[in-house]
Amino acid sequence: MDTALLQALISGLAVGSAYALVALGFSVTFTTTKTLNFSHGEFVSAGAFIGMSVLFLAIGKPLTSTTFGGAQPGAGVQLLALLAALAVMGLIGWLLFVFGVRPFARRPGMAWVMSTLGFGVILQSIGLAIWGPKPVVVPSPVGDDVVRLLGVGVRPQELLMLAVAVVVMLAFDHVMRRTMIGKAMRAVAHSPNVASLMGIHVTKMMVGAFVVSSALAGLSGFMLAPIAQASLFMGLAVGLKGFSAAMIGGLNNARGCVIGGFLLGVLESFVNLWSAQWREVAVFALVILVLALRPNGLFGAKTVEKV
Amino acid sequence: MRLVDLFKRSLLAAAIAATGAAQAQDIKLGFNGDLSASPSAQSGKAGVIGIQAAIDDINAAGGVLGRKLTLVVRDDQSQPPKSIQNMSDLIDNEKVVAVFGPTNSGNALAWKHIPNQKKVVSMGMIGSGTAITHATAPGAENYMFRISMVDREQVAGLVAYAKKSGTTKIGLMGETTGYGQGGLKDLEEISKLHGLTPLATEKFAVSDTDMTSQLNKMKAAGVDTILVWAQGTPTGQLVRSMEKINYFPTMLSSWAADNITFFDAAGKTLASKPLFMRTLVNPTTPAQQKLYDRTVGQLAAPSAFPFVIHGYDAVQLVAAAIKQAGGTDGSKMREALENLSAPVQGVKKTYVKPFSKDQHEALTAADLAFVKWEGDKLVPHTDAIVKSLTAADFKR
Repeated sequence: MDTALLQALISGLAVGSAYALVALGFSVTFTTTKTLNFSHGEFVSAGAFIGMSVLFLAIGKPLTSTTFGGAQPGAGVQLLALLAALAVMGLIGWLLFVFGVRPFARRPGMAWVMSTLGFGVILQSIGLAIWGPKPVVVPSPVGDDVVRLLGVGVRPQELLMLAVAVVVMLAFDHVMRRTMIGKAMRAVAHSPNVASLMGIHVTKMMVGAFVVSSALAGLSGFMLAPIAQASLFMGLAVGLKGFSAAMIGGLNNARGCVIGGFLLGVLESFVNLWSAQWREVAVFALVILVLALRPNGLFGAKTVEKV
Repeated sequence: MRLVDLFKRSLLAAAIAATGAAQAQDIKLGFNGDLSASPSAQSGKAGVIGIQAAIDDINAAGGVLGRKLTLVVRDDQSQPPKSIQNMSDLIDNEKVVAVFGPTNSGNALAWKHIPNQKKVVSMGMIGSGTAITHATAPGAENYMFRISMVDREQVAGLVAYAKKSGTTKIGLMGETTGYGQGGLKDLEEISKLHGLTPLATEKFAVSDTDMTSQLNKMKAAGVDTILVWAQGTPTGQLVRSMEKINYFPTMLSSWAADNITFFDAAGKTLASKPLFMRTLVNPTTPAQQKLYDRTVGQLAAPSAFPFVIHGYDAVQLVAAAIKQAGGTDGSKMREALENLSAPVQGVKKTYVKPFSKDQHEALTAADLAFVKWEGDKLVPHTDAIVKSLTAADFKR
């Protein structure tokens, strides 16, 4: 294959893996509560900043620093930062559910749309107050030297994110299809009342979904920061593209979400080879086309809305 | 004392008191620009530091026409609607006599009708969009002045460099924002003036992390000199993508590459790739060094220092205009700026008749210097091509 095409494919998969992780985050709450966290993008930024803060503290810099200045935190510290990003974001997800979703869920109207959006604005404003608008370059745990395969260059962090997206997808796929907890989550999504009668603790399931989804946002932010830089605005673009990926692949299907993410990334990369100017047009034309032909996405299960 | 006499005297006394009050009144200046939201906000902050330093100096020396200067600062968070609202608020409610800023060129374009209608001088000192200082109609009164970089002046310098290097294999790249597209248009027009036809023109989004596809097209077209218009972070991502495909043509870029966001994104080694222009590389004169030492502690990065100078000199020019106009009438201030009779001693340089009716830029291509990153420092760049450039080469 032509080197330029191969480069576009690999680069597209790397960019797509970020979309895939974000798409998975959308999928988790949707499959359980039929609601979405509309500030998932801001949660991604928040995750990146929490990870970054832990790294700063660990190398003895103040929390509000704006540069690592070439310092390379060790693997243990990186792992600690990842765990902190997952835990804190999980906690924020729990708060989001308690204050932003539960009071409005299963009521008529779309109040939860506004409350989840508002939650993101609050997070972003707090972030701006602490760190300011300057993007921060975060050192990657696997180094930054270009890896060359068959004449194609890729950064180690991009390969890592690709691997993480696939592993997380496989784990989710397994949990949702093969385990009791996955079945319980799907039951809650299908009918909370019936699930409750079957002895499933509906609220716990819903809290769990928001915690996991937000932790996933934390993971996405943590993985993306060394590639795109940690910025309070980094989540905006990736959030929208991640949502598009979920729509293309199917919101209620983990495999679909990840494949949708990869598909979108590779499509973008190939359109760049042709004319980057038309990239966004191509992406959203595809989203609309897929929704028109297959409203539940390419891999989504058909859902019947009972009115 | 007759009653009429008493009336006359009290009227006179009131008049004197009123003038006294007016004289004692401070002259309000405004700043409207992004201080918190976009990555350019640090440039806005540096600009305000420079403005405040100049105001402090002028006030310490007795003010302008015996009146103290004060500054009203409004953050527009880089949003055009907020910026428009700030502009009206500063002019109508705060009654400022001149407005500095904005940080983002797009916002100046969104509100440039306001200072023109209200006849209040707007002195840009950050945003570099070419169209900002253009008159709304040929011959119309124009209140938009600038002392900063201007995209078209940089483009004039960079394309002149490319032409002098003898290459014909140029490629143009720009990000898909107003900033990138405006610069790309300037690049296309000025390349044409030099008889250079780009072999490829490519775009990328400001948040892109991988531009290898676009670069592979440049490579395939045989481009050996790339001219790029983008902000700091995407320019950094661009050189990182160059490394991925191991393709390093001569790179001439917008001055956004002087921003610390570019340096951070590119990393120490790759940051040395682009050649660009800025108003000042390092403080060279004693006055510049003094201002640098005084303000560097407040800056997010020393590379933001030129904005301190722009802000400082912008105040000096406005103060000179108030002096020459004998007051703060907007229309008279504009006339004074367009025909400054005495040279104005600034920190960047001494301004001798910087503006005229059709020329509202205090700094042009000849005032700019070629610069590169070397390690973590910006250093002036000279080579045979730079040395051979003359004023006639800067086509615009």
